[in-house]
Amino acid sequence: MKINGQFVEKILTKFIKEELSKFGYKKGILGISGGLDSSVCAFLAAKALKPGNVIGLIMPYGKTFSRDVKGAQDLAQNLGIKPRVIDISPMIDSYFSRYPTRNRITKGNKIARERMSILYDFSAREKALVLGTSNKTELLLGYGTIYGDMASAINPLGDLYKTQIRQLALYLGIPDKILKKKPTAGLWRGQTDEAELGLTYDKIDKILFHLVDKRKSKNEVISLGFEKENVEKIITLIKSSEFKRKLPPILKLSERTVGHDFLFPFDWDK
Amino acid sequence: MRIVLAQISPYLGDVEKNFRLHLKYIEKAKKKNADLIIFPELSLTGYTLKDLVENVALNHEKDRFFGQLKTLSKEISIVLGFVEEKERGLFYNSGAFLSRGKILHVHRKVFLPTYGMFEEGKYFGQGKNFNTFTTPYGNTGMMICYDFLHYSASYCLFAGGTEIIIVISAAPGRGVSDKEFYTTSHMWELMGKTISRFSSAFLVYCNRTGFEDGKSFAGGSFIYNPAGELIAKASYVDEDFLIKEINLDEIRTIRKKWPYKRDDKPEIILEVLKRIVRKYED
Repeated sequence: MKINGQFVEKILTKFIKEELSKFGYKKGILGISGGLDSSVCAFLAAKALKPGNVIGLIMPYGKTFSRDVKGAQDLAQNLGIKPRVIDISPMIDSYFSRYPTRNRITKGNKIARERMSILYDFSAREKALVLGTSNKTELLLGYGTIYGDMASAINPLGDLYKTQIRQLALYLGIPDKILKKKPTAGLWRGQTDEAELGLTYDKIDKILFHLVDKRKSKNEVISLGFEKENVEKIITLIKSSEFKRKLPPILKLSERTVGHDFLFPFDWDK
Repeated sequence: MRIVLAQISPYLGDVEKNFRLHLKYIEKAKKKNADLIIFPELSLTGYTLKDLVENVALNHEKDRFFGQLKTLSKEISIVLGFVEEKERGLFYNSGAFLSRGKILHVHRKVFLPTYGMFEEGKYFGQGKNFNTFTTPYGNTGMMICYDFLHYSASYCLFAGGTEIIIVISAAPGRGVSDKEFYTTSHMWELMGKTISRFSSAFLVYCNRTGFEDGKSFAGGSFIYNPAGELIAKASYVDEDFLIKEINLDEIRTIRKKWPYKRDDKPEIILEVLKRIVRKYED
């Protein structure tokens, strides 16, 4: 699962630059949380587009994660990208005061979609394309909010596992503070991905790599020495989140239907 | 003979723009006194066409772009890739060899990848031949991308007497490792080395670069000599203009030493293949 940092950086920066220019954009916009994925994406975008063409939206929910805000601001300053802090607590609190819930995940999803909504609003205001930061581990496990943090115009990180993003971050020279931070979706205080998933990213990524990249069966992966319970858990997560990786099915009525047999490339005439 | 590999990144679905891109590279190659310039697979159209296939299809007998290219080929031979509308409504992934004002050969891709990320079988008709043809430089054969990953295709060209094997390609990279290129790049090089060495022929592979719908085309165009040695290599990431002088006499030197071609037995191979095919019809 080793990657060559230099090669991956070169391909990804070129991808960001070319895709934006194909769609007539000079600027990119992304949400930065002070975590690993958004930091790596911001770094690549700054390199591809020049720092002045990258907008980093920092969208804290009140004062819950003030340390993360500081981390994100430091990163923006380091990279020379344009930071902008928007506190989303007025929108979120107003909604939940009318429709209260005790479900942390429901609330977290709403927060993720509020951030997406602001990103797309600023995308239009600033004529900047939204860059996604969902990594391959999250995409496969469905560990993200559909139409929330999973939404973007292009996603440079989607084919790198979390542990590979860590390798890339090391190569890029992302500050130690960010590298050492425990990965969190930032949905509530004290939440960490690994505690919530019940497995370390190291183990998850290895299992995913054998199942997905190496096309091994469940039993083959177990025979490599991974615990049956963990392999089964991961397979269940992959299966139950397929809907997050697809556009909604359209019922076919006509002779030619969007998604079925009306099929054009994303980069149409570009 | 001087060969140019034009490792370009075509515009998807825009023949006019791609034609101008071809002219730019042809001009540059002419200035460098090249004899032959080679463009990648579907160089006039881009690769991930899907339902755009019908919009970009050309018939090389009647098409105006081909008219101009034929004229240009009086000064420099040209190999390029295009969507061919052979008969009304029948589309092929084709490659053309133009020289001395004429289209000397059109190869229609036989092996259309239709698996994983590929869906060519859905959009293109299947070519039915691996012909060799005579050019001002010697007996030549062409393959398109996935054709080349079937060594039987190379054998047909070898049996047909090919001295220069030209492969045009739009191969996306797959697989990252600690190396500074895609894992699949090595696969093409391995085949290039093997086929050139055991065909005692020049092997010229022209791939493309750039991105289409998240696919990253892996560049790395190359030339192997008849001894199986790498003699030219383009960038793995960027567009490139690779120019190389090759000496066709090397074919003679190698074939004296390693008489694979002299000792080839296509008539036996043919009978063996017939027996195999008959068996699975039983």
